[in-house]
Amino acid sequence: MVTADELRNKAQVYFDDIEVGQDMPPLVIGPLTTTHLFRWSAAIENWHRIHYDQNFAIYHDGLPNVLGQGSWKQSILPRYLKDICLPDGWAWKVQFQHRAMIVPGDTITVWAKVTGKRKADGLGLIDMDVGMRLQPDVESCPGTATIVLPIRGGKAIPYPFVAPQGA
Amino acid sequence: MSEAKNPLTAEIKKLIGVTGEKIEASPPWGIEREGLRIFTNAIMDPDPRYWDDEFAKKTRFRGIVAPPIYCSYIARKTLAGEPDPISRAFRENPNSDGIGGVREDMPGALPPIPTPLKRILNAGNEIEVYKYPTLGDHIFSQARYSDIQGRVTKDGTPMLVVTTETTYTDQNGAVLCILRQSGIRR
Repeated sequence: MVTADELRNKAQVYFDDIEVGQDMPPLVIGPLTTTHLFRWSAAIENWHRIHYDQNFAIYHDGLPNVLGQGSWKQSILPRYLKDICLPDGWAWKVQFQHRAMIVPGDTITVWAKVTGKRKADGLGLIDMDVGMRLQPDVESCPGTATIVLPIRGGKAIPYPFVAPQGA
Repeated sequence: MSEAKNPLTAEIKKLIGVTGEKIEASPPWGIEREGLRIFTNAIMDPDPRYWDDEFAKKTRFRGIVAPPIYCSYIARKTLAGEPDPISRAFRENPNSDGIGGVREDMPGALPPIPTPLKRILNAGNEIEVYKYPTLGDHIFSQARYSDIQGRVTKDGTPMLVVTTETTYTDQNGAVLCILRQSGIRR
């Protein structure tokens, strides 16, 4: 896991330094416990019992265990991309599917691999495959993302972000 | 044996583009620190941009901000003084799954899809982020059916893929993020 000081002092990654095929530094979370899942349910007030009531999940819904929430996964990918872009880049968009279920005991490796880089309106766009891999090399959340990284000597990335024309 | 029909009826097609009411998604006091603390702990993100005023002032955001799609979660919360939805749900159904009977009368909800296909699976999400909310911001959301596709699978199962797009804005009308969620009905 990343620390507050690492995020406070994070060095900027530049568009110029990224190569197609490059793996971005992963974020490892876990092992997840029922307590982590319950904390998320309480934080967003999602009271669906399959996420914290093991008897209900197994004996009522026929699931293998309580399940990690799709809404939690949905928050983790943007958070990971945000970390990559800090301090002055922008995690613009991400899309993903929900595949393998996450259950207590799983350790999740959030990852990104660069598939392309392009410039639009003077901004440096990085296209990536992304996902959340479980420990037995099972992909839980395959998808794609586009982030924007500063170009050395280039213009500042606007904030609020403005989508470049034609990107 | 009769062949399954494509479940995309003319009545369902008319729902494409239908937009729900724009509602305030944030509580009456807007984005606040305690909500950020609870949420950022739950996503295990210690970023000081969410809690350290002095540091946050020196960033490009010029102050504390909320995580990228935090604003999409806050409308689900029960405000103080409201009848307890959990007690109501379990009073009406002691075997409630914790969803049925809890989330009723969601303001801004889209009209239901008139289909006998009741099982819903999350097919995927698409997120675009443009701005992070700051402390005190008021968040508004508006949903629409951006697409509905119907088909029959190779094994003869009829299904609908319903894509809902929700746009989140702040009190000045600035777009914060756009979320699209595709659900499979079968």
